[in-house]
Amino acid sequence: MKPSWQRRPVFIAGVGMSHFDYLPDVDPIYYTSQMIIRALKDAELQWKDIQAVFCGSCFLGASIGHKIIKEVGLTGVPIVNIENACSTGASALRLAYMQIATEIYDCMLIMGVEKNPKGPIPAQSFLPWELELGFNFHPGNYALETVKYMHRTGATEKDISLVTVKNRKNASLNPNARFQKPVSLEEVMASRLVAPPLRLLHCCPLADGAAVAVVSSKNKLKSPNRAVRVEAAVLRSASYKEEYVPGGIIQSVKFPAKESLAAQSAKEAYEISGYGPEDIDVVQAYDTVSSSELWDIEELGFCGEGKAPQLLRDGTFDIGGKIPVNTDGGLMGKGHPMGATALGQIIEVITQLRGEAGPRQVQQARIGLTHAMGAGPNSTVTIMAKND
Amino acid sequence: MSGDKKRIPIKEKMWITKSNGEARLLGSRCPACGELFFPIKDSGICVHCQHEGLETVELGPFGRIVSYTAAMQPPAGGYYHGPVPYSFGLVDLDDGVRVETHLGGEFEKLKVGMRAQLAIETLYTDEQGNEVQAYCFLPVEE
Repeated sequence: MKPSWQRRPVFIAGVGMSHFDYLPDVDPIYYTSQMIIRALKDAELQWKDIQAVFCGSCFLGASIGHKIIKEVGLTGVPIVNIENACSTGASALRLAYMQIATEIYDCMLIMGVEKNPKGPIPAQSFLPWELELGFNFHPGNYALETVKYMHRTGATEKDISLVTVKNRKNASLNPNARFQKPVSLEEVMASRLVAPPLRLLHCCPLADGAAVAVVSSKNKLKSPNRAVRVEAAVLRSASYKEEYVPGGIIQSVKFPAKESLAAQSAKEAYEISGYGPEDIDVVQAYDTVSSSELWDIEELGFCGEGKAPQLLRDGTFDIGGKIPVNTDGGLMGKGHPMGATALGQIIEVITQLRGEAGPRQVQQARIGLTHAMGAGPNSTVTIMAKND
Repeated sequence: MSGDKKRIPIKEKMWITKSNGEARLLGSRCPACGELFFPIKDSGICVHCQHEGLETVELGPFGRIVSYTAAMQPPAGGYYHGPVPYSFGLVDLDDGVRVETHLGGEFEKLKVGMRAQLAIETLYTDEQGNEVQAYCFLPVEE
């Protein structure tokens, strides 16, 4: 049965996001507590206005949200910790959205915070025998999806390399991004092979960092023209055998899925919000590897299957293009602090809708969309609109 | 400890070796909807139709490569003890079930749509000297 979305409007009143970087010697409690204060100031609210807290992370263990709040203020409000792989931050927003929309709370704090282990992520969504066979090699699993995509559409290694070039260029305009230097097509295509056809510069770097947002009802907004309305906050998890190798799901041959999880979640978000792909002014897509941005754009409905590489070459997905994608540098340029990533994407859209993105500003951005896939699998699609 | 070196499978009941020496994978079949699963589903529940009570069936030995890659460095976590680099991918068995598998043969010659045949390989030798075995698929001529 489909959920009912009869509700009152939900807003993001304030945000705070740290620089995403490899920070082995910095305690995440330190930078997250600072981002809470920044988000509260941004919303022009006080800690005592917060009625409940959701804290997302993947690798920080039990009670991380409580540890952070202990550094900010103890007011007895409920704190719940959330883990939903790469979709964690957007899952936290979805849960807060439901509580505000149904008038349980007026004002909540959500966080995405991460300190990643070094090296490739130790994928945890695999069975013991799959781990022993080395099937948890994430770049390899995305390479399997990439080979299928290239076979299906005729996309080339140059096409997927151009995604990295675009996103690293955007990251160079974002002071919060891990990578501040652009890369050339030649550098990408000469980087070492990790899992053919994927090379090092086709794979996003991990990072540490925190993203925080104050989610509220209309009556709590101090500066309504800076607030952003949440039009849809959708989560769909594993549908029957819809192949997602990085999530340990292999397709059924007898009963194949009709639609990808990304397509299903996008359709639901369009239905709830009343907007379609043609209405979206700025997109943060899921570029955990360069090639995944291409099929993501297609599955989100921005163009037909196999059309994304040509549109990329034409500049359609550039900051000045018709459908700017990953304006903050994406996971590829900004870095991928797993528990914080999806909320980081959401904060980039908020920054764009407020017109505060500086040199990477998309002109007249009114409606934005973010998509994160995650192991599980999970697929979160969030649509936000300028509040005017 | 007896000191005897043995061949041990990476997981019990993943395959059988028939009297003629040929291997077959073991999986589950749902008698209600016909869906196939590899490996055997110990829960006995069909994830497709929720029927309880699955039959064990033999699968393979032939299929077609759907996708392939090679891990050029060890995966994280320290669970994998086989050689690096290693090729792996997806194979659709003629029976109608997709399996994730190691792939043998020369990596450069692998192609989508290529015919492949089941084989049992020694993945690594453990600390006791036992040969730990795994299923894999090797490309074959049509």
